[in-house]
Parts: sequence; structure tokens; C-alpha cells
Amino acid sequence: MSGGPRGKLRPAFRRWRAGRPFWGGLLLALGGAEILLTLRASLDVVLHVGMQGLAGYLLPAVMLLCGVLILFNPAQHLFYSVIGVLVSLGSWLTSNLGGFFVGLLLGVAGSCLAFGWLPDQEPRVSRRRRRKEARAARAAQAPG
Amino acid sequence: MTSSAEHGEHTSDRPGGTPEAGDAPARRGRVRARRAAVMAVPAAAVAAGLAILTAEGALGVQFAISGMPFTVTATELNGTGFAQFGALDEMAEGSPNAGDTGGQVLVVTSVIKNATLTKLCQSVDLGGTNLVIRAGEGAQKVTASDLTTDSTQLSGDAAFNNIEIGNDASTLDKAGPKGRGPKGVFSQQSDTVHIASLRQTNYATTAGVFKLPGLKLGFSESGC
Repeated sequence: MSGGPRGKLRPAFRRWRAGRPFWGGLLLALGGAEILLTLRASLDVVLHVGMQGLAGYLLPAVMLLCGVLILFNPAQHLFYSVIGVLVSLGSWLTSNLGGFFVGLLLGVAGSCLAFGWLPDQEPRVSRRRRRKEARAARAAQAPG
Repeated sequence: MTSSAEHGEHTSDRPGGTPEAGDAPARRGRVRARRAAVMAVPAAAVAAGLAILTAEGALGVQFAISGMPFTVTATELNGTGFAQFGALDEMAEGSPNAGDTGGQVLVVTSVIKNATLTKLCQSVDLGGTNLVIRAGEGAQKVTASDLTTDSTQLSGDAAFNNIEIGNDASTLDKAGPKGRGPKGVFSQQSDTVHIASLRQTNYATTAGVFKLPGLKLGFSESGC
């Protein structure tokens, strides 16, 4: 029963994923969310403290936003990934050592994946298939 | 002629003609390792640089944690500009840590304008495992400015200089503008504070700019 809609949804999801740096955006957004979760300082105190306190919230929020924008506006993924990596690194200083390092790591990894992503690439050839093709080529060469 | 060439390019997926152009989606976005490395290498270098600078105490970092109780210990705390008053911390609505407290925790807010801590250890219980941050175990000490902690428990051997006890919390002036509480609340303040073998259970540390020489961050079965 669940096979029906899933059978249609999964290829659609694959196609959607193929057109954007999916893992990059997802990791960056998750990193921002993780840092926000470790903060949870009451807003009263943050506003009382001013800019310094606000930066603790601002940077992970920008990370989250960049991650989501990478997913939904992949045309600009280079710009978002550069902002994302800078903000991720900045969160070390402002937000609990970048969410105790976890969020920082996710954010930097996600930004790098988004930066390294290129649309419209050749399909990946699996190693097994490559080996098989190499063997076939050798076999074709050997008798000749 | 050109149109036919374009047409040919569009129809055939690969110029060489693959043996199986079947199931896999023909062309899709992909991460090129070398492009990713262009950003990954400098980013890793900067991250390492930040960690090293922090561990040397050259760079201050900020903490803003609340909702999860965490323990702070230090063998010695010296501070100037100390204020302390009672307060009620409210958790975010529907916080899983609220339990039967109604989301409110009665806390003692301590504000220290400039603090120096020896052998700082901070641990957060993440359920089963503890995230432990240690710093200031070498010759250099941890320094913090505008350190504001909301604690439920505080123990240690304390000594104060020029202490004033029983002020209204809104009239405090020794710890700067951040060390001022709500009206009508009991409070105390002093010029200097010295606490030996400090142990705090905190609900929030906010906007304390910490300099953490000798930083060690890791997971451990036991907290501080």
C-alpha cells in the first residue's frame, strides 16, 4: 500500500536532489540548527547584553538560512556557500565554540560540499563497472 | 548545420555512447572533490587556527547556554566587581527540560566584571555521556569578562572585599550595567571576590567572553 506513492515519490525526490547541492545545503542547515539548540539563552539577557549576545544567535541563524537557500535557490549556491563557511567559522567565537564544535563541523563540511558542487555532470561510473569495462577492454585488446 | 550539431549534442547523453544508457538518470549535479577542496583546505586551516588561538588564550570565545544544567568547577576564582541577586529563569515554552517545575527555575545570578579562573572545568550532561571542557590547567589562567551565571547551587570557600549585603538589586553598581537586577530583590555586591574550590551548578552562562588557554574539549563518562 505504501509502495504506490513511495514508488512515485522516490524518483521525483531523486530528480529534485539531482538539481541542487542537497547534502551540502542539508548539512549546513543542520549545523545552524544544532548551534541554535545549544544556545537557548533567554532573549531577555541577549537583548540586555546587546550586539555581542545577539551575534550568538545571528550567526547560526544565517547558517540555517544559507543552508535552506542552497536547497531552494541552488543557482546561487556559490555565494551562499561562501557566506556559510565564513559564518560557520565565526560561530566558534560567538556561539559556544560553534555548538561545541559539532555545528561548526557540519556547517563547514556542508559549505564545502555546496561549493564543490557542479550542476549537470556526467553520471557516476561505479568502481565495479569501471573495472568491468577495463577488463572488457583488456580482453578485447589481448587477442588482437 | 549548427542547429543539427546542437540537436545532436542534446539527444545523445555522452559523445562516446555508453553501452547502457538505461536506468540511471543521465546527467545530474555532483560534488567535484577538487572544487570542494578549494574551500575545504583554507576552511580547515582557519578552523585549526581559531582552535589554536583559543587554546593559547589569544582569542576570547563567548558562551550562551541555558536550559540544560551544567557544572562548572575551578580550583580558584578571583574576580573584581561582583554582584549577586536572586532571579527566576524562564525556559523556552514547551522545553523538554522543564519537568514539573512549570518551566521556571529559581536561580542565583552572579555577575563578575573581570574574573580569573584556575583549572576551569565545565561539563554538560548529554544523557549518558558528558561533554567536558577543560582549560587553564597550565601556567596561564582562564579569564572572563562580564561573566554572568545563573546557578542553582554554588559552593566553595569565599572571601569578599568591601561587601554590601541586602541592597536592592536595582541599585547595584559594582559590576557594571549588567550586574543589576530587578527592583525589590535581595542582593549583595563587593569590590573583589575570591572563591577557592568553586563548584557551581548553572542553568545559564551568558555573554561571558572567555579566554581559554590550554583548551581541551572532549566527551567523558564522568563530569567535573
